[in-house]
Amino acid sequence: MKISRTILSFISAIVILFSTSVTSFAKVVGDKIVLGAAISLTGKYSSNGVHTQNGYNMAVDRINSMGGVKVGGKTYKFEIIYYDDESNPKRAAQLAERLISQDGVEFMLGPYSSGLTKAIAPVTEKYGVPMVEANGASRSLFTKGYKYLFAVLAPANLYLDVAIDLAVEKNNGKPVTVAMAFEQDAFSQDVRLGVLDAIKRTGSKKVIDDKLPKELNDMAATLVKVKQMKPDVLVVSGHTKGALTAIRQIAEMKVDVPMLAMTHCDAAKLSKQHGKNSQYALCASQWHKTLTYKDNFFKDGMTYAADFEKEFGYDPPYQSAESSAALLVFKDAFERANSFDQKKVRDALAATNMQTFYGNIKFAEGGQNVDKPMVLFQVMCDGSGKCENKVVAPTKWASAKLIHPIPKWSER
Amino acid sequence: MGKNILLYSAILIFGLVAPFVFPAFKVQLSILCVLIVLATTWNIQGGEMGYNTFGNILFYGLGMYLCASVQVGMFFPLAEWTESGGEKTFVHTPAQFFQGMAVGLVVAAVVPTIVAGLIGYAILGLRGHYFAICTLGLGVAAGEISGGIEIIGAGQGFTTPPFPEVGGLEARGEFFYFLSFGALILTFVAVRAIYSTRFRLILNAIRDNEDKAEAMGIETMKYKIIGWMVSAFFCGLAGGIMGGLVGYIDSTDVAFDGREMGVFMVLMAILGGKGTLWGPVIGATVFHIFKEGFWTFFLGWQYVALGVLIVVIVIYFPEGIMGWLREKYPEKFGEVIDEKDRKAQVELK
Repeated sequence: MKISRTILSFISAIVILFSTSVTSFAKVVGDKIVLGAAISLTGKYSSNGVHTQNGYNMAVDRINSMGGVKVGGKTYKFEIIYYDDESNPKRAAQLAERLISQDGVEFMLGPYSSGLTKAIAPVTEKYGVPMVEANGASRSLFTKGYKYLFAVLAPANLYLDVAIDLAVEKNNGKPVTVAMAFEQDAFSQDVRLGVLDAIKRTGSKKVIDDKLPKELNDMAATLVKVKQMKPDVLVVSGHTKGALTAIRQIAEMKVDVPMLAMTHCDAAKLSKQHGKNSQYALCASQWHKTLTYKDNFFKDGMTYAADFEKEFGYDPPYQSAESSAALLVFKDAFERANSFDQKKVRDALAATNMQTFYGNIKFAEGGQNVDKPMVLFQVMCDGSGKCENKVVAPTKWASAKLIHPIPKWSER
Repeated sequence: MGKNILLYSAILIFGLVAPFVFPAFKVQLSILCVLIVLATTWNIQGGEMGYNTFGNILFYGLGMYLCASVQVGMFFPLAEWTESGGEKTFVHTPAQFFQGMAVGLVVAAVVPTIVAGLIGYAILGLRGHYFAICTLGLGVAAGEISGGIEIIGAGQGFTTPPFPEVGGLEARGEFFYFLSFGALILTFVAVRAIYSTRFRLILNAIRDNEDKAEAMGIETMKYKIIGWMVSAFFCGLAGGIMGGLVGYIDSTDVAFDGREMGVFMVLMAILGGKGTLWGPVIGATVFHIFKEGFWTFFLGWQYVALGVLIVVIVIYFPEGIMGWLREKYPEKFGEVIDEKDRKAQVELK
C-alpha cells in the first residue's frame, strides 16, 4: 500500500495548517472590550438577525462616541466579533465555542431567537462567560438554572396572553373562542403556552390549535378552518415569515375575525409591506417608540427611532431596540463591577436595576427581565392609506383606542 | 504492511495528542470525527453498494434523540424535563451523567440498527432514483414527526443534560472529543474489517449488476439490509455523541438535519472518492477544513465559496480525490501497468 505515504503527508499538512491558524486574542485588547456574537446573517432568521446586529452596532457606536466604558480609571471602547450562525442551533453552539476558546472572548451577546440562545447557553454557562441576550424569550431558558444568562426582554409566554384578556374584556367578561396557529419552534411554542394559560384562566375555549412548519409560507388550511369555525380571536405566531404569511393570506381569502393577534409585526414591517391589508392587526411587542422610558445615551424612544432611521433607513423594530439595550446593560455592569473579572461582572449584571430608553431592566433569579411589561399595538391606517403602529394596551402607555371588532372585509 | 502500521500509529498518536496540542480546536476536531463516521458509513451504501441514500440522517437523528432521552429518562421524569414551562431544575450528578450517556449511546446505536432492518426490508427493493427519493422522504418525515412529539420537546427542542462539574473547564471538550474519536476508530476498524471480507465483493456485485448478482445465487436483499444496518449502527452512535456535544436538539435543524448533515455526508464521500476506504476520510477532512476556513475568511459568502468548491470538484475531480490520485499514480495503488501489453494494444489500433 503505497498510498499510505500520500495520506501521511496529507495528515502532516493538516497538522501544519492547524498549528499556523491558532490565533488567540484576549477579551480586553488595549483599550477595547471585545464582545462575541453569533448572529443569523443567512437562513430563516436572517431579517431579524440583521435587526439584532443593527441594534448592537448602533449602541456600540453611540457608547464609544459618548466616552466609552470607564473601568478602573481607564476608558475602554466596545468591539464586537460577529459570526454567521445560519439560523442553525448546531452552528450557533459551535460558534460560541469558537468565540470563547479560539477568539478568547470573555463576554457574549446573544443571538437571534430562542432556539439559538438555547443552543449557546450551555456553552457560555460551562465556561462561565456572562451573556446578555436580547432575543431569546423562551421560558425554558430561565428554568434550567443558568447563572451567566441575562435576558433584557420579557419571557415569551407573556407575549399574547394580554390579547386574550383584552378579548374577554371586550366580550363583557364572558369567555371567548380562540383559534391558534403557531410555528413549530421554541419561541412560538412558548407563546402558545402563554395563550393556553390565558385561555384556562378566563375559561375560554380553543377551537383550533394548529402547528405550522418552519420556513412558513402557507397557512391556508388553518384559515379555511377559521372561516368555518368563526372564532372570536385568531392568534398567529411564527416570526417574521409567519406574520407576513398570515396577513397576505387573510387578505387574499377575506377571512373575517373580530380580533387578530400576532407577533413580529414590526420586524416584518407589516404596515409598510402590506399597508391597508394589515390594518387592525394586534401585535405583541417588547417595545414601542412612543413609550416614555429614558436614558442618557439614546434619550428616549422617539429619538432612538429617528437616529436609527437615519442610520439604517427603516423604523426600528423592537428586536433592534432590545439589542441596543443589551449593550447599555453591559456598560452599566462593567462600570459597577469596575473590573473585567467574569465572576464580578456576572454579579454586577445580576444586580442590574436601571432604566433605558427601551424599558426598566432588573433580572430575576433565572435571568429574565421582570421589570418591563409587554405592550400591544394595533396597525391603524388613515384615509390616505398610510399605516402606523399605535399602542393600545396596557392603558398606561396607550396612545390610541383599540378598534374592536375588526370590520368585515365586505365593509372595508 | 510495515508502512500501514506506521500510518495508523501516526494517526492514532495525532488523534490522542491533538486535543492537548490544539486545545482551541477540540470542538472542530470532534465534529470532524463525527463527519468522518457519517461519510464512511454513507460510503457503504453510496459507494460500495451503489445505493444513493439520503436516509442515513434518519438514524443519526434517531440516535441523537434516543441518547438524550435515555440519559434524562433514566433518572428524572422525561416529560417534566422537556416541558418548557416546568419550573423544576434537574441536575445530573457526574455518575448519573456518565452512566446515562453510556446506556444512551448503546441504545442510540442499537435501536436505529433495528429500524434500519425494518425499513430496509420495506424499501430496499427500490432501485436507483426511486430509492434515493424514498430515503429523502424518510429524513423529512422524521423531522416533521419528531417536531410534534411532546415528550421529546416537540417544536421547543430538547436541551440535553449539561456537563457535570467535574474536571476543569476543558473537561467537557476533552470528554466529547475522545468519545467521538473513539467512535471514529471503532467505525474505521469495523468498516475496514468488513471490507476485507467477501461482503464487500457482494456489495460491489450489487452495485455493478444486481440482477446478475442475484442470478449467481447471492441473496442481494439480505446483504443490502445488513449493509444498511451496519451504517445505521454507527450513524446512531455518531448522532448520540453529537447531541451531547451540541447541547440542544432541534427536530429539523439539529437532529434530522437533512439539508445540511444529510447532504454533507454525501458530498464528503464523493469529494474524497466513493467506493474507497480512505476516500470518505480524506473527503470529510478536506471538506471540514474548507468549510471552517470559509466561515472565517468569507463571512457571508461561505456558501458561495462552498458552491464553487463543489463545482470545481465535479468538473476536475469527478471521481473524488482518491479517484484522481489513482488515475494519476496508478502504480501507488498497486496497479501494475504492463508496458508490453499497452504497446501491443496501441499497435493493434
